[in-house]
Amino acid sequence: MTEPCAIVGGGLAGFVAYATLRHGGLEPSEIAVFGTDPDPAAVWRRRAASIRQRRMRSESDGHCLPTSFPGLAVRSALRRRSVVPLLESVCDRYHPTVEEFLDHVAELRERSGWDESFEAACVERALPVEEGFELDGRGPFAHVLLAPGHPGLALPPELEHDDRAVHAYEPHDYADEVEVVGAGMAAATEWLNALAAGSTVISVRRREPQRRPLNLSRELFTRRGLAAFHRTGAEERAGLLRGWSAPSYPPGRAWDEPVERAAREGRFRVSSELDGAPQVICATGFKRGFRHDRLLAALVEEHDLDTQAGWIVLAPDCTVPALTNDDRTLALAGAPAQWAFPAADTLAGAKYAARRFLARVRAWRTR
Amino acid sequence: MAYTLKGRLESRLAVVLAPLLAACLLAALIREWWPVELALLMLAVGLALDATVYHRAFSYQAGWLALPLGLVELAAVMGLARLLDVAAPLDAALAFYAGSWLLAQALLHAAFPLVRLSYGEDGGELGRAGSASAGVVVTLVASLGGLAWATLPPTVHLAAGVHQGPLVLDSEQILVGAQGAVVRGGIVVTADGVTVRDVTVVGGEHGIHVDGAEDVLLEDVTVRGSELDGINVRRSSVTIRDCVVDVSGRYTQGIDVSFGFDLAPSVVEGCIVTGGQEGIVTHFAHAVVRENQVSGTSMRAITLTEMSMATVEDNEVEDVLGVGIFCGDYSMCEIEGNSVVGTRADVASEDLTRMGYGILAHYGASATLVDNTLRDNRHATGSFLDARISSE
Repeated sequence: MTEPCAIVGGGLAGFVAYATLRHGGLEPSEIAVFGTDPDPAAVWRRRAASIRQRRMRSESDGHCLPTSFPGLAVRSALRRRSVVPLLESVCDRYHPTVEEFLDHVAELRERSGWDESFEAACVERALPVEEGFELDGRGPFAHVLLAPGHPGLALPPELEHDDRAVHAYEPHDYADEVEVVGAGMAAATEWLNALAAGSTVISVRRREPQRRPLNLSRELFTRRGLAAFHRTGAEERAGLLRGWSAPSYPPGRAWDEPVERAAREGRFRVSSELDGAPQVICATGFKRGFRHDRLLAALVEEHDLDTQAGWIVLAPDCTVPALTNDDRTLALAGAPAQWAFPAADTLAGAKYAARRFLARVRAWRTR
Repeated sequence: MAYTLKGRLESRLAVVLAPLLAACLLAALIREWWPVELALLMLAVGLALDATVYHRAFSYQAGWLALPLGLVELAAVMGLARLLDVAAPLDAALAFYAGSWLLAQALLHAAFPLVRLSYGEDGGELGRAGSASAGVVVTLVASLGGLAWATLPPTVHLAAGVHQGPLVLDSEQILVGAQGAVVRGGIVVTADGVTVRDVTVVGGEHGIHVDGAEDVLLEDVTVRGSELDGINVRRSSVTIRDCVVDVSGRYTQGIDVSFGFDLAPSVVEGCIVTGGQEGIVTHFAHAVVRENQVSGTSMRAITLTEMSMATVEDNEVEDVLGVGIFCGDYSMCEIEGNSVVGTRADVASEDLTRMGYGILAHYGASATLVDNTLRDNRHATGSFLDARISSE
């Protein structure tokens, strides 16, 4: 018998999708979740802890709840009995702490019935069948959302076998002298961490980072910016996505003052080349492209899916056009869904994919 | 939120629906049009700004901007309400606006995102609900327009030429004269909501007599040769605007507004009044007398008496006998920005209060003077019998 839904991927993108489906009226028994860790925040927690992240970059809407309102700012205001979080929120200045965010994930995990639906399994193949998709022999499921997460941490090739190198998202301490490769949010966080630990920091970067509150223009989070993005051709779109992946971190004195002070003291400098420091921290993000993910690579190969420069070509609603019809859905969420939503690797992006997935499930159920 | 233009318009129409319905209900209860007019003004201002300014100016609109933009819209709505003579009491209008604004914020930031999950991503577009609410608003506005048109008072066009009066207007109507339309023998108004416009009245005991009527507008009327008052208003609330009154009898008055103290204030503005014993007179009335020109009177140009409460501002009084502006008999008068020139003493009357005073307060009256120009009068100001004149 065909089951309604499956989510492949037990991280935050899959979790957001699960919460959204539950909000849309599906019971835990109607949703199967396949992942490697029952804690949806496990991977993210480890990465955030590695870079000593204290606050979320995302603003009030950066949560896993299916509805934008009430977000974490409202909850914080109620808990603290203070309007300050609400005022910060309307000024786009509210950034929940990592602890608040993780508490919220834990609470939602408990409330949503996530553990009832979760099955520890690493799905490696999604096979289209008449009624939907079989996932490593399980199913069939009429609607499947693939949220495999980032395919791995990216290291510069010249550092892959260098004992001094550690990725920013792996646990580490700080040597007396540290070279930080990269210029994005993780790199900026590592500058401050290393300086706070008493290290001398060399920022190794080939281009200057951009300063912006979010990693993309705000218009690209709504139809206002997306409409034009969705009208672009394949090559142009790939070019845009590459351009938008340029490193950036938020503006503000909290970022600048420690660096400026350290620079005056001779403890911070910028270099375009590695300079032999005893520790090299690679804040170089993640591997990019479907080829690094076994499930997605197999899917492309077996069904000759349209791709462009490492991205699987998706419809604006994050579905894979060649494998989706009125009776079944194959959609992507998280970083692999950037073709449909440039900020797909954010919580807002996870919600975008989840809401459209829910819309397809609802339409199928009411037919 | 980064609104699309369609999202802005749909959201605007959706949030205005409840205030518009509330305005209709309120209008039906108090039998006044102003709540509906105010709600429609809010809608019109909002849509116009959405389409012409906000969409271009704000590719992304932070939540805090709702406050300054709300104040801008409030100023525009109140300005237009004043310009278009929407008869909304200020406190009620502000309360209505504030309530509507708060409701809009609650809907935009809480209710819509709750009901429609992708509200934010869709740039404020509401899908079918947006089309439906827009349809309801358009239907409602069209219905209100139809109702307003159907309940408009009939317009009676008076052809050019002489019409024998007196014309008695005893039902709500708009009487509009063609160029050269003359009524001989006077006009009598006894119904609320009557407008008389572009008519010349010649003769009659009173040129135009308004009795027991409210919300009456006399605009661009010319009155000549009446036996007593040019315009006589009793127990009524009127607006007399841009009139010409020319009277000549020994005991005639140009405009007399009396005994309407418990009614809405009457307004006399922009009129040219010539001759007669008194030019503009109020007895026991609330009145605003402004921007008129009064000349050639034989006793007083502007008289406010018998416990009247009046504002007299920016009038020009010239070449009169006796008194320019008179505030008498326990009246309270705010007299500001007037020009009174060349008031002559009425020596023949042997009345000490008529000896050429620019401004005179009499018998317990209280007059407050601000920035008046008093020139070439026998006496600039004077007060008699416990009356007080104070200057600011």
